[in-house]
Amino acid sequence: MYTFAFDLQSYAPIGILIIMALVFGAFNLIATHLLGPTRHGEEKEGTYESGMEPIGSARKRFNIRFYILAMTFLVFDVEIVFLYPWAVTFAKLVPQSPESAMFLGRISFFIGTSIIAYIYAWRKGVFRWD
Amino acid sequence: MSIPEFITPQFVASMITIFVILHLALGAGAYLILLERKVAAWVQDRVGPNRTGPLGLLQPIADGLKLLVKEEFIPRGVDKALFILAPALTVMPALIAFAVIPWGGVLDTSTIPFAETLGIAGHEVKIMGADVHIGIVYLLAATSLGVYGITLGGWASNNKYSFLGGMRAGAQMISYEIPMGVALLTVVLMTGAVRGDEIIGQQLEGQWFLVHQPIAALLFYICLLAEANRAPFDLAEAEQELVGGWHTEYSSMKWALFFLGEYTNLVFGSAFFVLLFMGGWSLNPFFGWDLPAGGGILMILLQVAVVLGKVFILIFLTMMIRWTLPRFRFDQLMRLAWEAMIPTALIVLLATSFAVFMGWTSSMWLISLVMIIGLYVLYPFLPKQADPNHRVPLIGSRFSPLRESDVGASGSGPPSKGP
Repeated sequence: MYTFAFDLQSYAPIGILIIMALVFGAFNLIATHLLGPTRHGEEKEGTYESGMEPIGSARKRFNIRFYILAMTFLVFDVEIVFLYPWAVTFAKLVPQSPESAMFLGRISFFIGTSIIAYIYAWRKGVFRWD
Repeated sequence: MSIPEFITPQFVASMITIFVILHLALGAGAYLILLERKVAAWVQDRVGPNRTGPLGLLQPIADGLKLLVKEEFIPRGVDKALFILAPALTVMPALIAFAVIPWGGVLDTSTIPFAETLGIAGHEVKIMGADVHIGIVYLLAATSLGVYGITLGGWASNNKYSFLGGMRAGAQMISYEIPMGVALLTVVLMTGAVRGDEIIGQQLEGQWFLVHQPIAALLFYICLLAEANRAPFDLAEAEQELVGGWHTEYSSMKWALFFLGEYTNLVFGSAFFVLLFMGGWSLNPFFGWDLPAGGGILMILLQVAVVLGKVFILIFLTMMIRWTLPRFRFDQLMRLAWEAMIPTALIVLLATSFAVFMGWTSSMWLISLVMIIGLYVLYPFLPKQADPNHRVPLIGSRFSPLRESDVGASGSGPPSKGP
């Protein structure tokens, strides 16, 4: 059977890589700050909106659809995360065995419930932007 | 002085791989911008950059130096901390994602020249950044972090165009992550493995998953384009409507980091596709035989060359798509993700689950073929929605300066074709 071993050793290169990426990002930001000139000006520091005078702030209320979309995404993304462990185990089972059938049945029910939610969202017009 | 215990041969190989690939990717990122401009010039019948160095080959270096010494400019009213952090947040996920991609097979260190003298003979190491159990799940997690930098950059800029671009990018990237995850899941189902080297190993023995799972491969490729904000999915930076989208207010190296992030994303996204669907260094569909799963140093170099060659072909395809296809409209983009790609991905997932249950994975290509033909046969009978591109006659619409009754009374103007 598959034995679970959390091998911290093998994650060490990822840690070093993240540090390298951090250093790369920080180095570029600091280097360009130090190397470039800095000049100030009233007009220059204004927001660029194609030459128009900006009216008000940009931190306004925005379309609610983005929010609904994010909620729908959350449901599906969490569902997919649950499917990964299932997929790894299911592929290793003996085909057409009772155990395998049970695995398939349970996950079909799980996917089925979210398909119902998906159809509901579709009929409610969550995915329509016009 | 004794060597610490954690420095195993695999650790050393991992560090060398990371070092080489990181620098290769950053250099490639710079040169891909030149290639992109050359391809664009070629498509549009122009010459392209040719003044800096022979054939313009020094252009990326000149551009990089120029951007480094340009003024770093922060407009009024921005959220300063997020504004500075956003470019780094964009480039970092792109740089850390490649750790679990295998670039070559298992290397027998005895074949390295002077191995005996250096005392490194007799080990077997994998040519990948980090040989971790979670494998491609890490890859998926790291690539999906990229949405933060872009959305925060758009929000922090205090610019309405940037804000719209950032929101669009956020919505687009999360929408296309779902079919991407499901397409990935079909490969996991076929192999029962999430480690990159195991997935490639199964494709070496069997067949590319591009052959077995063409629909999933297509979905995955489209999602890669959308995740990298590449045309035809570059809604977030649509020049004609949003100036530059989320990077309108950015300058100097901060701006360059966004682009470096985009192009490294392109490289590693293509490598991801090669790993999942084109079998890494596998040459199955062309020759019927394959490179072995491991070997000496020359064999490993050949394998790395094959992988990089496939990555290059995919990148070139992506560039040709960018300069060939027009941009989507936002409602079309969302409909494509939610009403076309997610149902298709779920159907492919269920079909693959069933095939795995019946033990038919070796003839999955036949099932895929049946599905594609079935789709074409069933297409005319599927429920249709109203065409979103309907023409609205000007007179009588809400954009008309005149009421329909006014037009009717005066008798002027074209007759309205309203319902």
